Amino acid sequence: MRRAHLLGLGFMTPALFIIVFLFLAPVVLTMMFSFTNMSSGTGISSGGAYEVTERTIRLLKDQGFPETTADRLAEDTYKIDAAGLAAVQADFGKAFAQEIEAELSGKSFAGRRDLERELKRLKERPRSTRDLKKAADLFKRSILNTRFETEQAFLTSVDELDLGLGETETAELTRTAYTGWVWTTENYRLIASLPSTLRAAGNTLIYVSFTLAFSIGFGLFLAVTTFYLPSGVATTFRTIWFLPRILPPVIYVMMWKWMAWDTGFLSSFLAHFGVPPRNWMLHSDINAWVVVVLINGFVGASLGMILFSSAIKAIPETMLHASEVDGANRLQQIRYIIMPQLRWPILFTTAYQTLSLLTSFDYIYLSTDGGPGKATEVWALYTFHTALNNYGGVLQYGLGAALAMVLVVIGIAAALIYLRLFNFNDLVAKPRIEQ
Amino acid sequence: MRIALENFTKTFGETTVIDNMSLTIDSGEMLALLGPSGCGKSTTLFAVCGIHRMDGGRLLFGERDVTTLPSQQRNVGVVFQNYALYPHMTVHENIAFPLKVRRENRADIARKVEKIAGLVQIGELMARRPAQLSGGQQQRVALARALVREPDILLLDEPLANLDAKLRLEMRSEIRRIQQETGITAVLVTHDQVEAMSMCDRIAIMNRGEIVQLSSPSEMYDNPSSDFVAGFLGNPPIAFLDGTTEEGGFRLANSRVTLPIPSNLAIAGSGVPMRLGVRPEFFQPGNPLKVTGKVSFVEIQGREELYDVTLENGAVLRSIQPHGGNHKLGDEVTWGIAQDRILAFGPDGSRL
Repeated sequence: MRRAHLLGLGFMTPALFIIVFLFLAPVVLTMMFSFTNMSSGTGISSGGAYEVTERTIRLLKDQGFPETTADRLAEDTYKIDAAGLAAVQADFGKAFAQEIEAELSGKSFAGRRDLERELKRLKERPRSTRDLKKAADLFKRSILNTRFETEQAFLTSVDELDLGLGETETAELTRTAYTGWVWTTENYRLIASLPSTLRAAGNTLIYVSFTLAFSIGFGLFLAVTTFYLPSGVATTFRTIWFLPRILPPVIYVMMWKWMAWDTGFLSSFLAHFGVPPRNWMLHSDINAWVVVVLINGFVGASLGMILFSSAIKAIPETMLHASEVDGANRLQQIRYIIMPQLRWPILFTTAYQTLSLLTSFDYIYLSTDGGPGKATEVWALYTFHTALNNYGGVLQYGLGAALAMVLVVIGIAAALIYLRLFNFNDLVAKPRIEQ
Repeated sequence: MRIALENFTKTFGETTVIDNMSLTIDSGEMLALLGPSGCGKSTTLFAVCGIHRMDGGRLLFGERDVTTLPSQQRNVGVVFQNYALYPHMTVHENIAFPLKVRRENRADIARKVEKIAGLVQIGELMARRPAQLSGGQQQRVALARALVREPDILLLDEPLANLDAKLRLEMRSEIRRIQQETGITAVLVTHDQVEAMSMCDRIAIMNRGEIVQLSSPSEMYDNPSSDFVAGFLGNPPIAFLDGTTEEGGFRLANSRVTLPIPSNLAIAGSGVPMRLGVRPEFFQPGNPLKVTGKVSFVEIQGREELYDVTLENGAVLRSIQPHGGNHKLGDEVTWGIAQDRILAFGPDGSRL
């Protein structure tokens, strides 16, 4: 390798570093997470404990585990064993303990009442019923809500319940009771079957297509109209319309909220015309969509306006003069001369904005947060809610990662299609306008 | 159609570029606006076609006052210096564009475009795009586009400036042929006196926003109204000798050389500053009025040879002679001036 090559490699190192650690590594990690069932319940550290909870029992029943056996898991069992006897000896004396051992050793009872009845027949029993109940409780054995650090300890305790489980049932119980995360493809099956993902996909389609159409259309309108204005006025208008882009998103959305609140500008203004005040951002699905599309659309239009304006300025002035002396009026000039020469900037902006809109949810998060209900919850926001932030507080990292992976795949596919379709090499190679 | 500019004034901000200019172009005439860059010739053209607003005066197309009309309503055809073809349209679409925006029907458009394409001889290029054409072909397309709508006037802004030398010769005669065949009134803006002289019926030579002289090419060459006009026309250019009048003649500045004053001039008196202009073809070995100098520059042009002769006082005369003179740099020569062809100018540059 020549030294020049090494130099080039040296210059590329920062870029490689950024690509590997800030792009590739997160994508690979996300992919790994997407094949786990990690959640706020399992945690993300390896290893977990075994615990039967109400949820475990519900899950077991759903999975076809024998119902009575499952119910037994939740019930208390009273078993006369060494540990219980030792406890009785400490609390109620040696005599009572020895009597129990002699009479009932090795027996188990499904309820306290059964054990109490047996204990009542013993001579050395405590006189008060309360003490009798206390003594019976010392034999209570339950695995519900008990955390076992090892599988061995868990299985031992399950055995003590004398449920008579077969091998497959034991395995199923162990798997369900495990509180750590495991590898699984369940997330992708869920994505394919959940109605909420379908809804998020539909919302994303609406969001991307409408916002794109608005930002390109309005950007073009601004670029063309400011082109025909005197330069001072045009600069003023462009500056105003560039504000959405340069305002901090939080402040920008705050202004929208202030405008749309039921006591805000819009409601106050419309009150003059007898329209009852309402929250124009969240009153209905349509309201929410209009606001979401406009908030994002104005930001997109700002960028479009700048790109299209500079592209129009790049059209040689004599070409516009030529069209004028050829008899073209303003509209014909826009349609036949300006628009065809904006083809490449329009294609570029479309490609760029599709990709950024697919993954962006910041303005929606700050404004409607997917509401009302889940009417404006787009895929990216749905992912965010699932994995990182939701009302219930159950954060499904694994499912969220799988949702994010779907976006990554769609994004890469769209990028490849655009590159292919618009022949990006040509696009960046040489100017489209000769002379 | 007869075109008349009356008292035309144009200002850019504080600067008055053209002040109170009047010009009439006869119907069917091809007129050249000739002058150095910045003289206002392109400004005049843009005012006629409506790209620039006029700040004063009137513009008449025939009897119609078009002063305030936008260019869309003026019916002018313009060929721009860089042709300004629409790069995204084919040749056919380019030529058809003026008709298309007037919403003429498809069949009419096709017929007219075909006819004009035949006239400028680009019939076989109709499906190409401008980027696939040579400079000369682009020029023809631009011409066809300007002519297809049958404009009242054809305006050509430096149409040959972007062509190479050979094409320039060819297009010079082509444009003239097309103008004569269509009988259209045309204005040619150029800084090249050869173009102006070879293509046009009349030349309006401009300097600093004024028309200095307006006449036919040969008249302008033989009878320039000022030393500016004399210096602008002719290649190689005229040579000037500065000096003062003296009893019975003209004395060159800083020397004892005197020349007789051309007999057709009335002399204002002795000691008046004066300039004499001598064209290279009238400074020849055979002529009677001899002056002596050293050959300071030789240019072999093939058929002809061009010499610069530096006189005793440092003034330079030019001579163009048939090939074979064989004079060398530094040779001392005594050649003669054709006395009756000397052009005399007063101190303000005006012809005497």
